[in-house]
Formats: sequence, structure tokens, C-alpha cells
Amino acid sequence: MYVQIKGLNFKYKNSKEKILKDFTIEIEKGEIISILGESGSGKSTVLRLISGLEVPSSGLIRINDRVIVDNNTFVLPEKRGIGMVFQDYALFPHLTAAQNIKFGLKKLTKKDKNKRLQEVLNLVNLEDFKDRYPYELSGGQQQRVALARALAPSPSLLLLDEPFSNLDADLQCKIREDLRKIIKQTGITSIFVTHDREDSKAIADRVVILKEGQIVRVGKPKDILD
Amino acid sequence: MLTIRHLKLNLNIWAVLSFIFILLVILPNLNIVLNVFNEPNENWNHIKEYLLKDYLVNSVILITFTGFFTIIIGTSLAWMISIYDFPLRAFFKWGLVLPLAIPPYIAAYTYQGLLNYTGVIQTFLRNSLNISVQQKYFDVMSPEGAIFIFTMFLFPYVYIITKSFLEKQSAALIENARVLGRNSFEIFLYVVLPVSRAAIVGGVSLVILEVLNDYGVVKYFGIPTFSTAIFKTWFAMGDLDSAVKLSAILMCLVFSLLMLEKFLRGRKKFSYTTAKYSPISRIKLEGIKGKLAFGYCLMIFSLGFLIPTLQLVHWAFLTYQSILSIRLLGLILNSLLVALFSSSVIVIIAIIIANNCRINENLLSKIYSKVTVIGYSIPGAVIAIGVIVFFVNFDKQLFWFYKMLNPNSSKLVLSTSIVMLIFAYTIRFLAIGYNSIEAGFEKIGTKFHEASRTLGMSVTRTFFKVDLQMLKPAILGGFLLVFVDILKELPLTLILRPFNFNTLATKSFEYANDEMIHEAAISSLIIILISAISIYYFYKVGDKED
Ligand SMILES: Nc1ncnc2c1ncn2[C@@H]1O[C@H](COP(=O)(O)OP(=O)(O)OP(=O)(O)O)[C@@H](O)[C@H]1O
Ligand SMILES: [Mg+2]
Repeated sequence: MYVQIKGLNFKYKNSKEKILKDFTIEIEKGEIISILGESGSGKSTVLRLISGLEVPSSGLIRINDRVIVDNNTFVLPEKRGIGMVFQDYALFPHLTAAQNIKFGLKKLTKKDKNKRLQEVLNLVNLEDFKDRYPYELSGGQQQRVALARALAPSPSLLLLDEPFSNLDADLQCKIREDLRKIIKQTGITSIFVTHDREDSKAIADRVVILKEGQIVRVGKPKDILD
Repeated sequence: MLTIRHLKLNLNIWAVLSFIFILLVILPNLNIVLNVFNEPNENWNHIKEYLLKDYLVNSVILITFTGFFTIIIGTSLAWMISIYDFPLRAFFKWGLVLPLAIPPYIAAYTYQGLLNYTGVIQTFLRNSLNISVQQKYFDVMSPEGAIFIFTMFLFPYVYIITKSFLEKQSAALIENARVLGRNSFEIFLYVVLPVSRAAIVGGVSLVILEVLNDYGVVKYFGIPTFSTAIFKTWFAMGDLDSAVKLSAILMCLVFSLLMLEKFLRGRKKFSYTTAKYSPISRIKLEGIKGKLAFGYCLMIFSLGFLIPTLQLVHWAFLTYQSILSIRLLGLILNSLLVALFSSSVIVIIAIIIANNCRINENLLSKIYSKVTVIGYSIPGAVIAIGVIVFFVNFDKQLFWFYKMLNPNSSKLVLSTSIVMLIFAYTIRFLAIGYNSIEAGFEKIGTKFHEASRTLGMSVTRTFFKVDLQMLKPAILGGFLLVFVDILKELPLTLILRPFNFNTLATKSFEYANDEMIHEAAISSLIIILISAISIYYFYKVGDKED
């Protein structure tokens, strides 16, 4: 298995109850997983644990045979090579779209950086907007910049937190299609979080239904969502 | 549960540096606590018997009345500016902040010069109108005069905090009360005052801390308070032990006031905002009411800024020939360099501690942020004593080292240098820089930091490439506030400056104390000008950004 998450337990410092209980799942390479749940069920928390922004109280995460968390290992977020698209994108307001995208490419030479920038701009179809600042972009464009920024360093796993929550309803349909295409084109393994069953149906290979921090069902969208 | 994994998260350069800085802030003040229990000497018994009561009574009278009057003036102005429209309102909105640009000690000797027998007012009455007045009505060098000075030049603290609270406060509350058929004055009394209680208490406690910190006004007016007493016991009598004891009593007073503040504020934070922000639609005051509002603002603005400034300008014209010289240039340079350097140090330390508190959320960093803020409530005279004792001890420890570098080295090196003064400024004004930068961090939140981490940047690289860039306005704001405060600072500078080192502030004060009030005008005006520009920038330009 490419991604292996076993028995994750977690609680925030100031919360009384466990936010996640025994979260376990295995993901194949190139698979798109969707975590579906109501607001407050702990979806974002799962992503924060995988990306290393929070420390689980117990459990194990292994990606491509490398342990990133267990009882005596903790790999810092910047060392994990996991890309993340945040719920409200978190584009750096002081940088242009192109600078945002190049932000994670610190190891490359200048020439390689620009080459990679061109590739991902192509992928998300944003060549004409690369010199704009985030506030000069529409919601859909911002989302694509955020996606491009997360993909640029070629992460081993891509996490997306409610990628559609900030978009208009009509836009959502079209962008779902685009997103699935882009992800499949890169072949990257992804986990995306949503509270909308339609999102899961349209994009996911497999759905995980989360309720109050516990997985209640896992399966193909057509099997468990129809 | 603290495992290796947590340690790895928390132990970094930010935590280590913060720890060192906090230690440096605490140590000098610890000295005071440790020395309090020294055996009392004869002098102390004398102070306790005959003088202590006076110090206490005077200090309490000053803070009580100043507190009372600044509440009245500060809240009434805040209320008028936020809810009414009247001639020149937009100007007064920030103009009423300007009295903060004039340090109370400068105001004190300006008003004294203005009102005394040879001053403009009495001369005019005598020569042109042939009226001679009873001197006692024109005597500002009294507790009443000091209360007047403190009130007129410190009320903006109450005004600013209350005004910004009222502006953020959703208009609904006030509009509701209006619909229920209450008139403006009733709304002010029964709705605005109680609701903004926390803001008012916050503002007035700043005023009170300033009054307790003051040395210039009470010294010039000859009113015995704790500040003057600490200076006198120590310098005139050379009695450090008793000075420490006085400091300790003063600190007890400060801490009781801080407890009182906490209690009066209640559970509400004064910066609370309701989810919906809707500006108050202001009522236009027509006719006589508009004129009254205008007149009131103009009167306060004149007393708190215009009149003293004009008087100083007048004196400056009388004396510029003898004052404008290379020596003045030296003073300006001294003041600016010390203020610039100290503000930079303070801002950098504040950034490090604030960043540490943000990335390492734990009990220790909470304590750090509390300690950082406490410095501002310690009166200058107390900090001065703590710092001197600390540095003299430090020099004793390092004497072997000095000798190694220079066989003829004197015993006291650091404690006779400017380092000591900068160190003391840092303890006292760290809170101001810290508050500004912490607010900046709060505004940008953690998501950009986290985004950068997931893109492969370490904490430190993230700090330089993301946090610092977005924090620029807050850093500039904090820097300006600290800079102005240091420029105006008197008691610490007077005690801790190296021999023969003068700043604009100390020189003005010296002139005034040597009965050369006119000569003090130019250096005072320079302080006021620089402060006014910074304050203008901070409150007017900074205001627009939100
Ligand atoms: N920093 C925090 N401290 C304490 N509790 C938190 C914190 N962040 C989230 N929680 C709590 O953890 C639970 C799960 O939060 P989480 O953000 O993972 O939910 P979510 O499923 O992403 O919700 P949404 O769809 O609204 O984004 C919630 O009950 C929330 O109140
Ligand atoms: Mg969420």
C-alpha cells in the first residue's frame, strides 16, 4: 500500500473529547480518496495530522514505505513532501501568482524553477494571470493557483481541504471536472475533504464517511452514496 | 505527555532566545524583591514616620483626580466624535490625539511660564487692562495644577481606546436605545458608559500608570510623591536600601491597581467585536448644538495642544540666537540615535518573543507574554534602581575580564555606559512593541505560516519569507510608538545616562529647572514635532488600513 494510516487518535489541547478515534485507512498509488462528513466531524483535523501541522496522541502514518509518524518518530511538516490546498487557499498576499507557485521550489536552479512554473501553469491553465496578486484573481482562479502551488514541488501526496467551499454553485460543476482531470493527469495520490456528496461522487475513487471523528463507512461512491 | 516528538517541535532557536530575553527582563526586578528584606536603617525609620504618608496621599490624590477627569473628558469626546457630525469633526478626530505628543513635564513648565507673574497672560492683563490678579488663582505649581496638566495631556489614552471601541461596537445597540425613546445623554449614561466600561478602564489604567511613572511634573512643581522620593533618598541621601523599600511599596500600589483594573474590566475584553460590523450613522448637529460641540472640542484641543505649542514657538523666537548651535545638533543626534537604536532592539526582541509564543503554544510562552507586558507598569524610578544594582553587580563579576582586556580598566564599565540606559528602555517599553506586533500576528493568523511549512520551508525560513513580510505594518507601528516614547522619556534617562550625555528631553528639563524656561523651548518643540508626526502617522494613516 502506498499510504498507510493506522489507529490515529487525536485531541486538541483545549478540547475535552477525542476529535479523532482510531482513524485507519490504506490508499493505493494514484487513488483519489474523499473524506465526507458534516461540519465539525474532524475532516480538516485528519488533513492537519497527515501534513504534520498537528501531532497525534497515537497511531502511525507511512507513505511510500517511509514512516512519518509513529510513537517515536515525528517528521516536521516541511520535511514530509506533502502538498496541501487550504480551505481558504492561504495564498500569500504579498506575492504574485507566479511567486506563490515558485515558493516551494527552493531547491531548484532559477532556470528549472521557471520551467516547472510553466508546466504547472499549463496544467491549471493560468498562463495569462501569473503576474497578478491574489486579490486581483477570481475565486476560481485563486483556487487553481493554490492547486498549482501545492503541485509544483511534486509532492508524494496531495491534500485538499474543501476545495469548492468558496465557489459559486454553477462554477462548482465545471471545476469539479477540471480538478479531477488535473489530478488524474498528474497521477498524484490525493485526499480531499468535503461535506458535499456530489463532490465525492464526481471526483473520488473511494469515499470515507466520517462521523464525530470515527469512520463509519468506506467504499466506492456508487456503492455507498446512491 | 512530553515525548521526543514534542520536544523536536518545541525546542528551537526561537524558544531559546525568548528564554534569554525574558530572563534579562526579570533579573533586575528580582533585585528589588531580594533587597526589600534588608534590615531597615535609621533613615528608613525617619521616612516611615514622617514622609511616607505624604507620598502615599499625594500619589493617591493625583491618580484619583486625574483618573476621574480623564474619564470625563476622554469618554465625552469619544462619544461626540463617534456619534455626531459637527464642524471640523474630521480634524478633531485625530487632532484630539495630539496632546500625547507633548510630554507632561514640558506642558508643566510651559503652563507655569504662561501663567506666572511675568507670563504673557498676567502681563497683558496688567499692562493693557490694568487688572492685577490674585496670584493664587494663577498658581499651577500645586497638586491641582499637576492634576490639570496630567488630565490635559493624558486624556487621549481614554479617548483613543473608547473611540475605537465605540466605532467597532455594532451600531445596533445605540440605535435600539434611540428607538426606545431615550435621548442622547441618557444613552450615553445608561448604554455607552456601561457597555464600554472595559475600554474605559483599559484607557484610564494607562493614564494612571503614566502618572505614577512621572517624575518631571511633580519634581518641577515640588510635590513629594514616590517617584521624587525614590530619587531623593537615593541621590541626595545615598541610601539605596530605603530607595528599594520605597520602590517596593510603589510596586505594591501598582499591582493593587492592576488587580483593581482586572476586576473592573470584568470578563469582557475591551476589543471584542460583534460579528457584524456596521458603522454608526452619525447625527448631524445643527445650529447652537453644533457650535457647542465644536466649542468643546476646540477648547480641549487648545488647552492640550495649541496654546502650549504656540507659547513654545514664541519663546523659541526669543531664544533661537543663543540656542541654535552645534550643541543643539549634538542633542538632536544623541536623542535620535539612542531612540532609533533602542527601538530597533525592542522591536526585534518583541518579534522574537511574539513569534515564539505563536509557534510554541505552551505554558512557558504564555508566561513570557505576561512578563513582557508587565515592564510597562513598573514606574521608571523603580526600573532604574533595579537596573543599576544589576549592572553594578555585573561589573563586579566581570572585573577580571575587563582587566584582562585592559590592565588599567576601571571597576565600572557597563554601568557607566549607554548600554545600561538602552537596557532599561527595553524593559520599560518592550510591552509597547510587543502589543503591536502580537496584534499583527493575530491579524495574519497561522494559515500562511502553515501553508509555507507544507511547501517545505522551515520555521525560520517561513518567518523571513512570509511572516515578516506580512507583519511590516505592525512592525512599523510598534517601532513608531516605542520611538516616540523613548524620545519623550525622562526619569530613566536622567538617572541612567552616562556622565555628560544629554538628550533633548534631559536638556529641556534642566533648562526649566534652572529657571531658563525660554531656553527650553526649542528642544521641547523638536520633541513635540517629531512625536506629533509619528502620532499622526500612527493614528491617521494606520487607521485607514483597517
Ligand atoms: N484548534 C482547535 N482547538 C480546539 N478544538 C478544535 C480546534 N480546531 C478544531 N477543533 C474542534 O475539532 C472538531 C473537528 O474540527 P475540524 O476542523 O476537523 O472539522 P471539519 O470537519 O473540518 O469541519 P468544517 O466542515 O466546518 O471545516 C470540531 O469540533 C472543532 O470544534
Ligand atoms: Mg474543515
